[in-house]
Amino acid sequence: MIEVEKLTRRFGAHTAIEDVSFKVERGEVVGFLGPNGAGKTTTMRILSGCIGATQGRALIDGMDVLEKPREVKSRVGYLPEVPPLYGNMSVGDFVAFAARIKGVDDAEAAATRAMEQVGLLDVRERIIDHLSKGYRQRVGLAQALVHDPDVLILDEPTSGLDPAQRREIRELLRALAEGERTVILSTHVLGEVEAVCERVIIINEGHIVARDRIDALAARSGAIRLRVARPGDDLPGVLRSVPGVREVEAQPDGSWLVHADDDVREQVARAVVDRGLLELAINQQLEDIYLRLTRGGEA
Amino acid sequence: MKAVLAIARREIDAYFASPLGWVSLSAFLVVTGFMYASILSDFSQQSTTAAFNPYMADQYNLNNWVLPGFFGNWSVILLFIAPAISMRMFSEDMRQRSFELLLSSPVSSGEIVLGKYLGALGFLGLMFGATAHYVLILYWLGTPDPGVLASSYLAVFLLAASFIALGMLASAFTVNQVVAFVTTFGALLVLWVLSWTESILPGTAGTVLSAASMLSHLDQLTKGLLHLEDAAYFAGFIGFFLFATQQRIESMRWR
Repeated sequence: MIEVEKLTRRFGAHTAIEDVSFKVERGEVVGFLGPNGAGKTTTMRILSGCIGATQGRALIDGMDVLEKPREVKSRVGYLPEVPPLYGNMSVGDFVAFAARIKGVDDAEAAATRAMEQVGLLDVRERIIDHLSKGYRQRVGLAQALVHDPDVLILDEPTSGLDPAQRREIRELLRALAEGERTVILSTHVLGEVEAVCERVIIINEGHIVARDRIDALAARSGAIRLRVARPGDDLPGVLRSVPGVREVEAQPDGSWLVHADDDVREQVARAVVDRGLLELAINQQLEDIYLRLTRGGEA
Repeated sequence: MKAVLAIARREIDAYFASPLGWVSLSAFLVVTGFMYASILSDFSQQSTTAAFNPYMADQYNLNNWVLPGFFGNWSVILLFIAPAISMRMFSEDMRQRSFELLLSSPVSSGEIVLGKYLGALGFLGLMFGATAHYVLILYWLGTPDPGVLASSYLAVFLLAASFIALGMLASAFTVNQVVAFVTTFGALLVLWVLSWTESILPGTAGTVLSAASMLSHLDQLTKGLLHLEDAAYFAGFIGFFLFATQQRIESMRWR
């Protein structure tokens, strides 16, 4: 379990995060979202024990990260945005080294297990510098997993990967998130969060602006995205006539964004079909909620 | 302790996985080899003359002439080689961001520093070990005093270990290895020439500064004499820089 209480971190005059508090229950998979520079990495580095907090505290399984660093770190696996690798080592040697410094008794066996989990056994003899970016990311994941941590902190694990590699890592994350492991995952790819996480924490300019289950957040936000085959000129009028709808916006991709006070998906769908317009998709997207929150709105 | 040894082992491997280790090792062996050969050939020529002079023949032996000259040269070579060994110790980790692996692992900053330092000493030990043939040749040529030999090796090892301790601190301050090298080399040169101040600065100041110089503590050791104050000087020097590096690493969490 992760508890963050009023965490503040300053770098000189710059305040990276301020009064950040949240809780992640055991076994939960939480997406940590926010624009660049919002304070995601700072929060994750504090949780992993790499840096200290100026104020407040972070607890892992009830233990303060700064007071009991050794105990906490042996329970936490951390994959920074740039995977921390020794490029001139072979994959197998590197993962075994990571196991040794993390205090694993049988380092070789642990390394083999971790490499198996992330699909690295075939390249265990290869030098890390000679691997593709996707594989290097897997090696980073293997070092984070090698001591079988209860808590996994992953900072943009799919950044810079091509769509195929991203999909592979996403599949891996889904497998890793099963069971009792607590996972915090930061990413820019919102689809990833929707695919893997149950809950999101959104941080903007060093402050938490939302923390909730994805569906609850979507329901509260009231924005839905609608795609209609053959949208006629009367579509905006039809949508506005639905009770509860406040605003209708045409989107560049041909879809329509409908803002309402409540969840009006059912009413909107009925109205569209009644007018003889074929509805293709209607959904509430995390992207819309995210953009609204990080541009100053409130959920 | 297992983690410390794992870090040390990785450090040694890292020297041999990059050109740096091989180049340092080769440069050291080539230069010391050249000096060894020239000292021996000089000694052999002079000893022919000395053989006809009973007083000189008594004084002119391997222990009095070859060993001090030879190991005295090592200290100068190490002024260049030691910064090359120490410059990557933290700079490389910080530059390639692998340092976060160490920081997020259940090891203390003291263990990280100790592991890296032991790794560098391990490399140094291997480098000195590769000079074993010089010793074998001396035994083949004559009867060197094993005590003088051992204390000479101890002297240069302590000296190099001190250089590396200082260099490690420099490397913990920058991601740029060249900057770490130049800073270390400059600082070592200053410590080197401090012994000259005794003749320039009269009185206590000169004596104190001279006592802080490495050269003053090296002389006795290379003659085969291990004094407590010399051993304490090197131990204190190394201890200070290990502690300073640990403090520097710890402070990085808070900057």
